[in-house]
Amino acid sequence: MSQPDPIRLRSLMASRRKAWSLALLLGVLTLLAVISLLALSGWFISAAALAGLVSAGMGFDYFRPAAIIRLCAIGRTAGRYAERLSSHFAALGLLKDLRVARFTAMARNRSTSRHSADDLQRLISDIDQLDQFPLKVIAPWLWAMLLTLLVLLFWTLLASQLLFAAIPLLLAALLIPPLTLKQALQLARLDASTAASRRQALLEPLSMQANLMLWQRWQQALQPFQLADQQLLRLQQRQQQLISRAVLKQHSLLGLSILLLLWQGGILVAGQQLSVALLLAALLSLWALYEVLTPLCHSFFALGLSMAARDRLNQPGENIVLASHKPQPAGPFQLVVTQLSARQEGALCGPDNINFSLGSGQVLLINGSSGAGKSTLLQALAGDLPFNGKVSLNGQPLSTWNLNNTFGYLAQQPDVFDLTLAQNLRLGAADATDDQLWQALSDVALSAWATAQPQQLNTLLGEYGAAVSGGQARRIALARLLLTQRPVLLLDEPFAGLDSATAQHVLTALARRQSQGILIIVSHQQLTVAGADTLTLATDRHDLLQS
Amino acid sequence: MRCGWSLKVTKARRRLLSNTTTPLQQLNQLLQPVKSLLNQALLLAILAAGLFILQAYLLSLIFADWLSAVATTSSPTMTLLTQWLPLLALCLLGRPLLQYGREQLCVSASQHVRSSLRQQLLQRIADAGPGKSRYGSDGSISTTLLEQTDALDGFISRYYVQRYLVLITPILLAIATACYSLLAATILLLTAPLVPMFMILLGNAAASASQQQFTELARMGGRFLDLVRGLPTLRQLNAVDRAANSVANAAERYRDSSMKVLKMAFLSGAVLEFFSALAIALLALYLGLGLLGILPWAKGETPVPYQGALFILLLAPEFYAPLRQLGSDYHAKAQAEAAITQMQPILQRKAWHHSGALPFALLAPAAINISQLSIVGDAGRQRLAPISISIAAGGRIALQGPSGCGKSSLLHALLGFTPYQGEILLNQQSLSDINLAQWQAHLGYMAQRSCFMAASIADNLRLAAPTATDEQLKQVLHQVELWPLISQLPQGIYTLLGERGLGLSGGQLQRLALAQLLLRNANIWLLDEPAAHLDSATAYRLNQLIGQLSAGKTVLLVSHQLHGLDWLDQVIQLPDGTTALTSEAKYEPA
Repeated sequence: MSQPDPIRLRSLMASRRKAWSLALLLGVLTLLAVISLLALSGWFISAAALAGLVSAGMGFDYFRPAAIIRLCAIGRTAGRYAERLSSHFAALGLLKDLRVARFTAMARNRSTSRHSADDLQRLISDIDQLDQFPLKVIAPWLWAMLLTLLVLLFWTLLASQLLFAAIPLLLAALLIPPLTLKQALQLARLDASTAASRRQALLEPLSMQANLMLWQRWQQALQPFQLADQQLLRLQQRQQQLISRAVLKQHSLLGLSILLLLWQGGILVAGQQLSVALLLAALLSLWALYEVLTPLCHSFFALGLSMAARDRLNQPGENIVLASHKPQPAGPFQLVVTQLSARQEGALCGPDNINFSLGSGQVLLINGSSGAGKSTLLQALAGDLPFNGKVSLNGQPLSTWNLNNTFGYLAQQPDVFDLTLAQNLRLGAADATDDQLWQALSDVALSAWATAQPQQLNTLLGEYGAAVSGGQARRIALARLLLTQRPVLLLDEPFAGLDSATAQHVLTALARRQSQGILIIVSHQQLTVAGADTLTLATDRHDLLQS
Repeated sequence: MRCGWSLKVTKARRRLLSNTTTPLQQLNQLLQPVKSLLNQALLLAILAAGLFILQAYLLSLIFADWLSAVATTSSPTMTLLTQWLPLLALCLLGRPLLQYGREQLCVSASQHVRSSLRQQLLQRIADAGPGKSRYGSDGSISTTLLEQTDALDGFISRYYVQRYLVLITPILLAIATACYSLLAATILLLTAPLVPMFMILLGNAAASASQQQFTELARMGGRFLDLVRGLPTLRQLNAVDRAANSVANAAERYRDSSMKVLKMAFLSGAVLEFFSALAIALLALYLGLGLLGILPWAKGETPVPYQGALFILLLAPEFYAPLRQLGSDYHAKAQAEAAITQMQPILQRKAWHHSGALPFALLAPAAINISQLSIVGDAGRQRLAPISISIAAGGRIALQGPSGCGKSSLLHALLGFTPYQGEILLNQQSLSDINLAQWQAHLGYMAQRSCFMAASIADNLRLAAPTATDEQLKQVLHQVELWPLISQLPQGIYTLLGERGLGLSGGQLQRLALAQLLLRNANIWLLDEPAAHLDSATAYRLNQLIGQLSAGKTVLLVSHQLHGLDWLDQVIQLPDGTTALTSEAKYEPA
């Protein structure tokens, strides 16, 4: 399986080419209307004044220019409105594509540790950041290039001397923003990393605040944060200065090119090679270009942010090897674990040297105090953690089997989604009937609760499963897992929050459902199942000695 | 000077919040120290507007000169252009410079405000002590301190100056126009009363648009987050495709709903745009037809001569420009208001400092006498009903009671982080009179979860006692029964702990925190449910260990369970704090 396609900025606009083309076209038309309106108005009153002075206005066709002026005014208004709508439509579509693509990519990508809420929030804002590229980089540049070209063309038609007078400084004004490119990219990258380290530098003393204050070390512990904060402020100031200076240089160059145009135009007018009205139109078209060129000064900073966001999103992760070509094991099953040791990432201790063997229909209960590594052991068996030692199923190492439909694992904090109860359950079996759902709920001792809900199967479970208690969430997840009908079940504390009678009821149902499979349960409760094996893990060597 | 629309927003907000100050007023208060910087920035912006008028005037003079030359069939000359060129250059180059200066001033004002606000928030958090948990998790407190404080930037550096400019610039331009044509000035000014009206329209539409969009965005983000968080589960269930569909549906719904909102929001912008375009078009037609002498009501007359007409035409686009800019900066204001609202709980915390100054020394565990102690929280809510407890020197007692009855608040008062009514006597000295640092030096405090730096075990222990030798560290680790584990690690006490103590189990971390207490050699231990997050067997071991190590010290321990706490001298039950508001309770040793 190859790495999921990395996000490329240049292909961001590929998926919705039509919507983007429309938005860009509307933008060009709007800006064209802006420039024409100003230039034409200037020409119109100058020509009208001349006609009024010379021939008392006789024979001057004012209908056509007046109509075009009105058209430009309307075009400018309607165009901007339509442009904004269509570009947002395209950007929102892009956002959708990116989210779906990112989700699928992440689903294919295995990361050993779970994502923290902060990581995910950053991921989302990174995705949101990417629409800056078409909106603030591509569009302004395209528009600026096209309109500058049109204005240059207009000047050429009037008099080539005008073109030669104004073009060097105008091009220089266009070149100012790209000169900031390198620095802008560097600053944008630094910005993200400094912000992250500033946050870290604040979180650490905050988490230990009370003791740091008692020990008179609070101010000292805050030092790294204060430094990082000042650094970030300086960085932001540099970014702002970079943009402000670019605007300053660009506008000064444009100002000078207006003077040159005026000077050259004056000479042409004096030589009667150019009419005053047309010179004014030429001047005003340059005047209107300010509005078109200014956004360019901001574009490279937006580019830097998008690139930094893209790089973070494209960070390589370990890919899941799809097991489709491997054989699926068939029952009866024989699971043999020899000398297994495993550690959570960064953990100093965990289960060591674990040995057991289980056949179809057998039940293994694992107990021990917290920190003994019960959950770690289960995670290793479920394939969520790397381990040392040997685990074989039906005589073959686990890695040779496709276990997608064989192993079912219930984590200690199982995920219940912000969907209805039925939707949550059907994530396990898409085409389960309502009867099957009720049966599964009854097996986990939840049918009474579900019946009491006004919405019954359609009860919404809330974000993080907030509408249900932790124990209920765990049993909803268990019911969902039962619906998948996996022959090997690995359950981490499925009975938390249940009294022993109910726990026994659930356990009996589980044993019945798994009579042809293997059932491994981690629990700190004392449970009894006929014929079950028990494995006790010790916290650490020291406690083992004491107990 | 304040625009009418902002008053309206103010009133609307006042109804929502019971506070006397609105977010906008609070933002303005924050700006007080940098008022002069911002006013300088405003002055520069006004100067730039002045230069713009001058520039338009000069250009109109030059073009009028040329045109009249052409009209009288004499040859146009460069005389006037040469004469005015330096002044014109000053205008064209001066405006960008003034703009640059304005931005620099605004940036430094913004940085100043943000960093002093951040210090202020940090101080409030520090003063709150362990009670800071009222304001949310450490993560959300950091977000308030960092991102939300930074979210004020747009308001300070752009919006503030712009909201004055939006009134001043049009007035200047209208006055300049009136010098040539009262009618043209009237056309502009007739639309001027519409400006505040449009600001209300624009403001409300933008506010509701951004709010709705924000809610929708949050909902879409929530769905995405919800499913990504559960990816391992979805993978397990082979349900990734179904989940991807759900992500797509949520994004689709978001697009539909926000397009509806945007259609309205952009409309107000479009109306402004329309006015600005119309003003140019109308003026051009009026002036042009006037120059031709064919205005229906003034045939054969030229109401505004060419020079004035050109001047007015050049000014017209700038009339609405500040307003358009303000429209695009509006979200900066909405963002800042949202941010300052989030900061309210912390900012409104009554500043309180322990003010005692008498020296305090302790050579042996102190006796603690608490009489008629009660604590009132931020919003006037009683957090601890009056209570009297006495602990003999070296006495060890536990406090029990339902959650919310004020057990932790009592510890916070003893720590010196919370104001209280009543009396706390420490060996006959009142806590409120003595020097806080000297008192705190004798305290050992432990919370439900102890956190550590991402540094070595030794570094973390030396936070408590900077001068401790390796030998002393080993000794305390031995006492808390961590040495057998740590001695087996390849790097021993120099093993790095991960973020927040990653790598050790909850029970081990609490024992490491005990080791810190031992290093401090504190005489008085205040323990806030140290075993609350541990399973019963581990909690039992920890409680027993605390019993062994705290012999001879004065101990006040808050705990729900008494498993493993058989060494206590006394257990005190607190009633529910909210029901015992008036009744006075005296607790006698059991």
